[in-house]
Amino acid sequence: MFIEKLFEKAIKAGISDVQVFLNNMNELSIEVFDGQLEKYEISDSSSMVIRGIYQGKMGTYSTEIMDESLIDTIVNTIIESAKIIDSPDEAMIYAGDKEYKELNDLYNEELKTMDVSKKIEKVKNLDALFHAADPRVSIVETMYAEQTKTVMLQNTKGLKLFNKVNSSMLGGQVIVKNETDQRTGFDLLITNDFNDYNNEELSRKVVEDAVKTLGAKPIPSGNYEIVFDRDAFGILLSAFSGIFSAEAVHKGASLLKGKLGSTIGSSHVTLVDDPFMKKSSRSRSFDDEGVATKYKELVKEGVLTTFLHNLNTAKKDQVTSTGNGFGGTVSAVNLALLPGNHSKDELIKMIKNGIYVTDVQGAHAGANSVSGDFSLQAMGFVVKEGVIGAPVALITVAGNFIKMLQDIEALGNDTKTGYYGITCPSVKVGPMVVAGL
Amino acid sequence: MLLKKEILEKIIETALATGGDFAEVFTEETVSGSIQTVGGLVEKANSRKIFGIGIRIAHKLQSVYGFTNSNNPEDLLKLASDLSKSFSDELKTKALPLGEIEVGQKHKVLVSPLVFKQTEKVELLKKAYKAAKEYDEVIQQVMVNLTEWVQTILIANSEGRYVTEERTRIRLGINAIAGKDGMMQTGYEAPGTGKGYEYFLEDVNIEDIARNAARMAKTMLFADECPSGVMPVVIDNEFGGVIFHEACGHSLEATSVAKNASVFCGKLHQQVASPIVTAIDDGTIENGWGSANFDDEGYPQQRRVLIENGILKSYMVDKLNSRRMDHQPTGSSRRESYRYSPTSRMSNTFIDNGTSTFDEIIAATEYGLYAAKMGGGSVNPGSGDFNFAVSEGYIIRNGKIAEPVRGASLVGNGAEILWKIDMIANNLDRARGMCGSASGSIPADVGQPTLRVSSITVGGKKGAK
Repeated sequence: MFIEKLFEKAIKAGISDVQVFLNNMNELSIEVFDGQLEKYEISDSSSMVIRGIYQGKMGTYSTEIMDESLIDTIVNTIIESAKIIDSPDEAMIYAGDKEYKELNDLYNEELKTMDVSKKIEKVKNLDALFHAADPRVSIVETMYAEQTKTVMLQNTKGLKLFNKVNSSMLGGQVIVKNETDQRTGFDLLITNDFNDYNNEELSRKVVEDAVKTLGAKPIPSGNYEIVFDRDAFGILLSAFSGIFSAEAVHKGASLLKGKLGSTIGSSHVTLVDDPFMKKSSRSRSFDDEGVATKYKELVKEGVLTTFLHNLNTAKKDQVTSTGNGFGGTVSAVNLALLPGNHSKDELIKMIKNGIYVTDVQGAHAGANSVSGDFSLQAMGFVVKEGVIGAPVALITVAGNFIKMLQDIEALGNDTKTGYYGITCPSVKVGPMVVAGL
Repeated sequence: MLLKKEILEKIIETALATGGDFAEVFTEETVSGSIQTVGGLVEKANSRKIFGIGIRIAHKLQSVYGFTNSNNPEDLLKLASDLSKSFSDELKTKALPLGEIEVGQKHKVLVSPLVFKQTEKVELLKKAYKAAKEYDEVIQQVMVNLTEWVQTILIANSEGRYVTEERTRIRLGINAIAGKDGMMQTGYEAPGTGKGYEYFLEDVNIEDIARNAARMAKTMLFADECPSGVMPVVIDNEFGGVIFHEACGHSLEATSVAKNASVFCGKLHQQVASPIVTAIDDGTIENGWGSANFDDEGYPQQRRVLIENGILKSYMVDKLNSRRMDHQPTGSSRRESYRYSPTSRMSNTFIDNGTSTFDEIIAATEYGLYAAKMGGGSVNPGSGDFNFAVSEGYIIRNGKIAEPVRGASLVGNGAEILWKIDMIANNLDRARGMCGSASGSIPADVGQPTLRVSSITVGGKKGAK
């Protein structure tokens, strides 16, 4: 009702085409501390983005209240914001594609309807296992979060689309202590199938990994061969994921400008955007502009094959949109580096003198997506002649993203989707500059 | 849109029915806007209305939180009732009645974003663009963005607190890209204010700021890679204060202290820093970027001396975490929006003036890094290990600032670095930042005078000196 009235008033006011994009989130989160339920949060909230073309320019208004009394304000604000736009970009509202992929398996009703007490029990159980795993475990925070996301798009060109996905994550952070040092460990699993959670395995891995880092120290500065653990490499990929956006390229803000069709990585590198990835709450059959999403290779065996496009950037480059128009800009849905065939241990065995990097920090500041340069705090282990040695902390690993892609020597087969929404395996790269002592 | 007193009281009463000892209703209505320009042309303009209500109930050390966009009393009473079902006690705490509403009005805004014309905002952005673009021919692109919001909050709780305030924030992001022979480097300035547009019209010269972003991009374009290793680092004032924010500030928040997860636990009244270090978190600075009349639990913001002459004096504590600590709440509770339950956060945090001068510090340094401008950083409060990026750096050689270097980052440990601050200048200044943590992304001010850290690990691509 709200939408019909909004469309009617907008058209009457001289707006030629209108589109609404409605996002509804139903969320639950549980935190356990010291065996007790510490925090419990529930919410049901909606937001709507309304875009309208006025005299050829796009005006935008977002609101969290869908009250009819607001319609005049919405229409007026859209017109006002369209009026100040002076970029020559063509504003477009999309009439739709012939086909949209069915994404039935992305919503798991069982997860949504499962009794909350079972979820709380699961978190408490994980908390207890963390505590019991090792006497050096001193502090544990365990959490579960679940969301059901419904998105709906409707426009005056007759397009009406709908997606519903849900997902959850379970994990925790531990602090381990000995007489001289204090370190942390963290991991979580994202899925929409509650049966995927294995508390024993998760708790054992997190605590074992944390304990191993006790006593970590810097090592002398120098050049070292590196194996990035999948989680660490995911953080790096995430920091540079924006460079594949055609919008960034057009602005002159991507280091990939002018590199289409050229080799930017070693032959091991095949990077895809998979909007249909199972168990990902980011998966979608259409983007925020109503364009059907598609699976695509951004980099194939080292060669840059396409940028990510929305309607606008596609028009400028005379290609079709890749269905990556999200949030008024261009971004990947589920970026994935396809795995190789080595186990992680095999990758580490390839190192003569180097570091197995388990974590990098500070990617939001220490990675420059315009120049490609990065210098990031890292943690990990010394590796000599393929054998893992002492833990390392307070070092930085520095390089250039493109140079690093070219230096990738082998890929693991241990692919995983991390917290940052990037899916990748562990990666072996050639020597990089490490600063330490 | 904001709720009537009777309804608020009813929600609180419902929330406490099952034994909760504290209940709170947080109502927010925010009008925000953004304008993005690329190459001097407006590409996007967006307006946004945020409205929501969060209800929180505490029962000893447990808390439950829920939020909704609805302001329908029935929906809110149902949310309060759903949340209260987490506890199965009988009524124990009776809510105090809400008195007259207290209106925060310390931070005056003259030219509100709600009245300043869109076209005038665009003019401001174009002025900044032009100044940066014309700075030098190597400046290939300039993007100038504007973000502004006016947040109106109303908080009512079972202790009878009943407050409201309006908070205005405006920030410009100026991003200059310099390029030559396929190489690109960036320079960035992001002036912001808790005042209205009078700040950009009268207090600062936006063209000078824009030119500085361009100058930085050009300097970095012709800079060599930074050498790596352990060396003295002179960190300049203003945004240099991010070092204290990351390295120590987060570890002094009750969020980590209450759970015994901070390296500063149990160190109150002990020496934790070099005796020349005094650090303050002051949420009362007039129109400060991180200031407010009330914290997001409705209690007055305060000036907190965290460290005085090297002695730890106070943590930053919110109401619920104070229950785990032997420490009064310090008015430090903040949140991004109604979508977050609040927790202890920094406001305007800075290291206080010392007695040296900038020139003395540089002259006293034979070899080291001068970090003229810092980027952002992060810390692991559990281990205290931190990192941050240097966006404009120079080598100091023989007591003089020498050639520029790029791509540097600093890593260290929060508890250790405070001991290594061996010189502090007398030129305290502050700068704006956004801080992301447990209760969302909030405006936080950082600051310090120019200071020297006697030795810290510098990471760079050039390798060891």
